[in-house]
Amino acid sequence: MTSAHTPVTSRGRSLFNPAAIITVCALGLTFLGLSILFSASAWFKNKQGVEVPYQYLTKQVIGVFAAGALCFVASRLNLDYARRYAWWIAGGLLVLLVLVLIPHVGISVKGSRRWLGFASMRFQVSEFAKLGLVFCLAHYLALNQTRIGELKRGFLYPLGIIGAFALPVICEPDFGTTALMAAVGIVLLFLAGAKWRFILPTVALLGSAFALLVAHNPNRLRRMTEFLSEEKSYHLRQGLIAFAAGGTDGAGLGQGRQQLSYLPEAHTDFIFSVVGEELGLWFTLGTVLVFALIFVAGLVHLRRAPNLFHYLLVNGCLLLICVQAVINIGVVTGVFPTKGMSLPFISAGLSNLLLMGLLLGVILNTQRTWGRAALPERERAMGEVYA
Amino acid sequence: MRKGFASSYRIVLLATGILVCFGGLGARLVWLHVLAREQLLGKVNSVRQQITIERARRGDILDARGAPLATSAPMIVLGVDPWVLRKEDEARWPQLAGLLDLPEAELRRIFTTKYRVAASKPATASGPASAAGLVFNFNVTPPPAPAAVAPADEEDDLDGEADANGRREKRWAVLRRGVSESTKNAALALGIKGVRAEPASYKREYPFRQLASHVVGFIEREQVQATRNPSEPLRATGIERYCDFYLRGQDGWRKDELDGRNRELPQFNLRKVPHTDGYSVTLTLDLNVQDVIEEELKRIASTFQPLKASIVVSDPRTGFILGMANYPTYDPNEYAKIPKEEMARLRNVAMTDIYEPGSVFKIVAASGALEEGLVTPDSRFDCSLTSIEYKGKPRGLPREDHHFGHLTVAEIISHSSNRGAAQLAMQLGDQKFYNYARAFGFGHTTGLPGGAEENGMMAPPAKWDGLTITRMPMGHSVSVTVLQMHQAMSVIASGGVLLRPQIIREIRDEKGEIVARFDRTEERRVISEATARTMARMLMGVASKEGTALEAAIPGYEVAGKTGTTQKLEPVSLADGTVKQVYSARHHVASFVGFFPASRPQIVISVIVDDADGHAPGGVAYGRTVAAPSFKRIGEQLISYRDIKAGGAVVAPSFAAVEQARR
Repeated sequence: MTSAHTPVTSRGRSLFNPAAIITVCALGLTFLGLSILFSASAWFKNKQGVEVPYQYLTKQVIGVFAAGALCFVASRLNLDYARRYAWWIAGGLLVLLVLVLIPHVGISVKGSRRWLGFASMRFQVSEFAKLGLVFCLAHYLALNQTRIGELKRGFLYPLGIIGAFALPVICEPDFGTTALMAAVGIVLLFLAGAKWRFILPTVALLGSAFALLVAHNPNRLRRMTEFLSEEKSYHLRQGLIAFAAGGTDGAGLGQGRQQLSYLPEAHTDFIFSVVGEELGLWFTLGTVLVFALIFVAGLVHLRRAPNLFHYLLVNGCLLLICVQAVINIGVVTGVFPTKGMSLPFISAGLSNLLLMGLLLGVILNTQRTWGRAALPERERAMGEVYA
Repeated sequence: MRKGFASSYRIVLLATGILVCFGGLGARLVWLHVLAREQLLGKVNSVRQQITIERARRGDILDARGAPLATSAPMIVLGVDPWVLRKEDEARWPQLAGLLDLPEAELRRIFTTKYRVAASKPATASGPASAAGLVFNFNVTPPPAPAAVAPADEEDDLDGEADANGRREKRWAVLRRGVSESTKNAALALGIKGVRAEPASYKREYPFRQLASHVVGFIEREQVQATRNPSEPLRATGIERYCDFYLRGQDGWRKDELDGRNRELPQFNLRKVPHTDGYSVTLTLDLNVQDVIEEELKRIASTFQPLKASIVVSDPRTGFILGMANYPTYDPNEYAKIPKEEMARLRNVAMTDIYEPGSVFKIVAASGALEEGLVTPDSRFDCSLTSIEYKGKPRGLPREDHHFGHLTVAEIISHSSNRGAAQLAMQLGDQKFYNYARAFGFGHTTGLPGGAEENGMMAPPAKWDGLTITRMPMGHSVSVTVLQMHQAMSVIASGGVLLRPQIIREIRDEKGEIVARFDRTEERRVISEATARTMARMLMGVASKEGTALEAAIPGYEVAGKTGTTQKLEPVSLADGTVKQVYSARHHVASFVGFFPASRPQIVISVIVDDADGHAPGGVAYGRTVAAPSFKRIGEQLISYRDIKAGGAVVAPSFAAVEQARR
């Protein structure tokens, strides 16, 4: 492959490298998110009926800066050094995930216990657990790449890792995140080379388990039947009307109507509808294209991955961004059944923003370090904390 | 891919899958944005937009001094946001309940109901139109609901989001509708946080109740108007009806968008046409004069218990009506409570009802004969004749109440001789007498606004029978309205000119600028000033010792006037089964119409009392005994109120002759 022969320095510092493209895309999406968020939340009032137009915007801007800081730290960390602590990280996250479930410790909103409070901030641990899962799974699979054909160590153990992360999340309950975790985890297994004959039955089994869970819960069943029938729910219908109202050119920034009480969650999960109404077809298509561009740039970047750990880690990061985007846009446009999931970089929400910072940081990190593959892996891995 | 650690076909498979997903989403977006657009938008716009009517305030009707006879009071809605109530205000809750006339328990229930039922949403979602401001739901009775949750009868547009249990916060609960301005101020002064007032509509109020009610009239309630079929006529009377065009104003409207909870979005106002408040109408009516005559009417009513009675007061110099009242009357604030059989109370009988004027009508024949130079005040007529030849035929003259011999013209008036009056008219002849009667304003409406005015009945000479020339001069076989009689007397008081009677002084727009102003308007000259002066002096003889109505005399003032006592026509069933109208000996219309000071008239007063015989002295209601004393009482009060000076002592020779003849 030609890339391996290109001089390291010039490649690493080129402005047109895949990571730079991903960064520009991420920044563009973030900026779009801030604009739309302001439009969607400027009419909000607090309990006393006083308008608080900047409340969400301020929070989000602070979140963007915090995510930037996290991104910088993640891009400087020596990932191979961090692998030493993979199981500590996993353990720590699992403890936090379990803590979330304990009443009075975890914060419950609208029937789901997903948050841990710290000062005035709330963190959704499962967001960080997603990255933790990818990190640990990549670490395990890289260590055991020769045993990938075995049932136990090549399939069931990594499946167990996925399960360990997914179980507390499903108890919150947060089916969206659980499904995303399971999907990304199994895709990573698949990419690592797990046997088809292990993967296919597992997917079938998980599918039927999911169906069972849906059938078990009347609320979820209703959502699913609503999705399948022509008569959409109020929520979804308002989302679809927003796209129609936007048309090709959009109503103009700040001119959207749907976020004004017609459309619940307009600033978080359904923010893409507001993009559709205010900015129109070109911006929504553009957003989808930008996510696709991030994915393609990531794939190009992946071709330089020095080893399976890095390959799976970056692949996982890409999937966390892109699969989540696909699911969110699919839900908002009525392709998938309604499922609470935020749109990366755009939706309001601190935890998701911080996770995106971390994911981008990891990709930037690899962009810098993969050029130095000349160093013996062992030596570098044992080296400094900062790469 | 050549990497040893990763299978290249697997990543290609994954990449293809993800990219296909992105492609699918793109296609879906094109579908939603462009292809399915119309179908999805559907009725969205009609639901999202609303037209709100902004009610114009109906203008006031004021008396000459600016006192409001009819006014529009804002109907304020007082409500509460139960979520911002403070504990420390709780001590004042009972005070608020007392102010609003609300049971304390009910107030407490409204204040502590913080959620509305989840099921209330579909109920209110049934019609964005019902929130469109046009619908008045004053009479909505709230459906029975559990104590902890509120009925879904009120606008919930201020409510918060539904919580996990599907309950919606109640951010606006109505305490009372139609609160007065003063109650509102008192309620807000209590300082209970969360209690707010919102204007809703206007209520027509008549602060002086029955005072001038027949002139001012009433208008149906605003909410009745709003729901009425526009093709039906407006239910209104008096000035309210006549000046409706000016008073009504122009409602404004606003077309704006609604958000998901039917709240208006001021930032997206589409169109707005501001409302214009109605113009105010200032009347010539003086409330104090009106009060004097209505008090007098009450007195007449309690003393004589007549069928009806009317009093009109005007200024002969301008033609402005200063007071106009009738018995029986009503309170326009409660027009709806009047029972059907008493609807006659609504009529301004001074304009709508006709009666035979009787002797007061004699001024026409006398004025005409004087004006034509046919007679002088000193011309003598034999009033003992029972028949006289006219146009070649003997004509029977009417009966007299007293026996008269030869009388001068002045005495014919002061003694009220029927035969004398007939002879005066005969001097004039049919057509000229009729022309004078027309010129004095009889037989056609006066044009005074604000009532269904009657023409009266006066046949032209072609339709007269042989006796009409003897009967009409004394006010029989002619029907007039009180207002016509008043106007005819005013002609003499205003120096022979017929002034248009006016009740509206001016119309001002909502900023107080004058839109229209009505001043003294001469319709025509009926008689010369000299004739008018002579007539005035002759009429002074009525309120003298020799005249028919000493009761009308006001010491120190020259009172001119004429009494009238008319037998009413009564249906009598004859033997052959037909019904004939016969002059009754038991039912009379007693009247006195006069003015003062005679030489410089400033006030014309008409008092007409219908059928007061039952309680009149002697069982017959004479103008002298029933109407003249009222004239005097009103005159005396107006002298002090309007500061009327006693007239100048300009005594013409002819008048001196009258005096001398009497001695």
